[in-house]
Amino acid sequence: MKRIRISRCGSQLLAQPAHRRPTCPSAAAALQSNFTPHNYRIQSRPQSTAAAFSGSDLLNAQSEAESSGGARNRKPPPARAARTASTSPPQSIADLTKHRSPRPERAFGSAKLAALRSRLSLPQRFPLQSLARTLVHPSADADPDFNNSSLSILGANLLSYYTTEHLLCNYPRLPMPVVFAAQEAYIGPKALATIAGEWGIEAAAVPGEEVDPGLLQFDRLRSGDDVPAGLRHHEAPWKWNITVTHKILANDEFGSSTSNKNPQSLRGQAVPLEEAAQSFVRALIGSLHLHLGRPLVKRFFRDHFLSRHLDVDKLFDFRTPTRDLSRLCAREGFEPPVARLISETGRLSRHPVFIVGVYSGKDKLGEGAGSSLDEARFRAAAAALKGWYLYKPLEFTVPSSTEGEMDTSEWIPNLVDCGEVIV
Amino acid sequence: MASKRPLRTLYTTASSTLRTAQVPRRSFPETAACAFSTSKAVRGPEYDTEAADRPRWQQTPARMVAPFRTRPLPEGPQFKVNEDPRKLDDVYVRMLGENGDKVLTGEVKWLAITHKSFDHGRRGFNDRLAFLGRRIVSLQTSLALLNALPLPTRPLEGSDRVPFKHPALSGLPNLSSEAKDNVLDKHRLASVAQRYGLDRVIRWKPRRADNLQGSGIDAVLSTSLYAIVGAIALERGGEAANKVTRDKILVPLGFTWLSDAS
Repeated sequence: MKRIRISRCGSQLLAQPAHRRPTCPSAAAALQSNFTPHNYRIQSRPQSTAAAFSGSDLLNAQSEAESSGGARNRKPPPARAARTASTSPPQSIADLTKHRSPRPERAFGSAKLAALRSRLSLPQRFPLQSLARTLVHPSADADPDFNNSSLSILGANLLSYYTTEHLLCNYPRLPMPVVFAAQEAYIGPKALATIAGEWGIEAAAVPGEEVDPGLLQFDRLRSGDDVPAGLRHHEAPWKWNITVTHKILANDEFGSSTSNKNPQSLRGQAVPLEEAAQSFVRALIGSLHLHLGRPLVKRFFRDHFLSRHLDVDKLFDFRTPTRDLSRLCAREGFEPPVARLISETGRLSRHPVFIVGVYSGKDKLGEGAGSSLDEARFRAAAAALKGWYLYKPLEFTVPSSTEGEMDTSEWIPNLVDCGEVIV
Repeated sequence: MASKRPLRTLYTTASSTLRTAQVPRRSFPETAACAFSTSKAVRGPEYDTEAADRPRWQQTPARMVAPFRTRPLPEGPQFKVNEDPRKLDDVYVRMLGENGDKVLTGEVKWLAITHKSFDHGRRGFNDRLAFLGRRIVSLQTSLALLNALPLPTRPLEGSDRVPFKHPALSGLPNLSSEAKDNVLDKHRLASVAQRYGLDRVIRWKPRRADNLQGSGIDAVLSTSLYAIVGAIALERGGEAANKVTRDKILVPLGFTWLSDAS
């Protein structure tokens, strides 16, 4: 199996050629994440090292600590600093190592972890140490072997795959913005934070080695402070036309650019509770997949996520439903829609009620009630469009039902809709 | 004649019971909206019946086309889009192997390679398919990275912490979002798509026909590649889509599978 090679480039820009470390941007993050410098040495000289050196001078500090005697020429490397600094501000060693998570062995002594495992009805073969690891956010422990960043990447992929196939097979004609909104409702940051709360997850006040492993550990953002850069809205250049198709390709599963793609980049920064809870739930799904396998993850997803009720019809927001409906009828070859007044009351009174139906030939596509003729007509057109977009087949099979199955006779091909109407 | 009638009715009832006793075949659902309206479908009077019966991918719906063009033509040369089903079948065979053109049904075959910019979105587009396909490819990439050979471990000098080791978690250090972004970069995906000849059959409208790169062909190719995977997932199942992702997308990007691992 080929492994992903991190290209080694830019080593000629290093000040100390004796310690050849890759410094090209793609490797810098990986390096910093795997690099825990001599903790005991750094901690013995907190004033000199932590205050003086920034993240890009990590190598300088380490080499200075290692080299015994001999004055070395330390050329300040501004070019290297520019290259290694990614979107997050340079972090000092003190920032990255100020918090640590409890040792894995302490997981056996935690009543909270054992209670959580049985509360979620997970089998006994699911290790408590893995459960403890899912509760550690990168802001609480920068070392990727101890925090939940990789697990949460896997878990986010699994959650979004299962939710997408559920939505697209249940509602094959749903427009893309509504699919985004429904995804966010099922597995968005707020939803996952709510679910974590329902599971009884409590947060540690401050992360550290001595906290109970069953608490959610993260560096909490104080109220009034700025949200870290990784979680802030990324402004696109004004000339860009951010279309839905662009969001599908470039953004995350909710169509937003605000959510953090790289959990490890949040190490050393204070984050809100929502972000930490979201990372926990995702990491839990990831670790369930690795330890317990696909069928159990699917059952878990069905029990905890799909069991939540969502009114998909409330997610629609039409601007010009009459125009959309007329284009839809033209595309599908129906007769042009005509709005007709079905009944009315109190036309000259203060609160009239008009009931308008939209007809295509002899069929009534939708009906709406309103306090003015136009309002009723718009509501009728919106109801007609919802009737089209919310079509739901009676029987369907989701794509993941065929994974790992020998017998494919149960498979029912799903309806592939051509897309929402473009006006 | 009176004697013939009972025989005829007996015959028709017998054949109808035979018909209902058959197991209902799972057929691919129609993408047209036959059951939505009981009124007759209305086509423009100027179009003949042959045009009215043509599939959706082949023509713009009659009532959505104006009788003459009012806007000026865009600057630059005209962009010609493929209309030949044989060329499309060839590309599918190149990508999906033998019988690759039979994996997807006719309408969906064209829908998967149709971008929203083509014909103003009037003949359908592959947004939803690309959304599902991207989720599948992303998950398969994560799983492939997990199964890859681990990077050389750098021992934490001076650290007395030992992480929890378990065979199931052995691939986790490989899984980082930088690694995934490097693999699923749109330019790399576009080069994979070009290898299959997708750039000659995708239906889209570039901003400038003489500068396809500047018009964003890489994004359109990546979208189409995702959409093909999504279409296979919806029509043939997740197992087939995962297989296509592994063999036809991840292998050209540098992954190799030594044994069958899901």
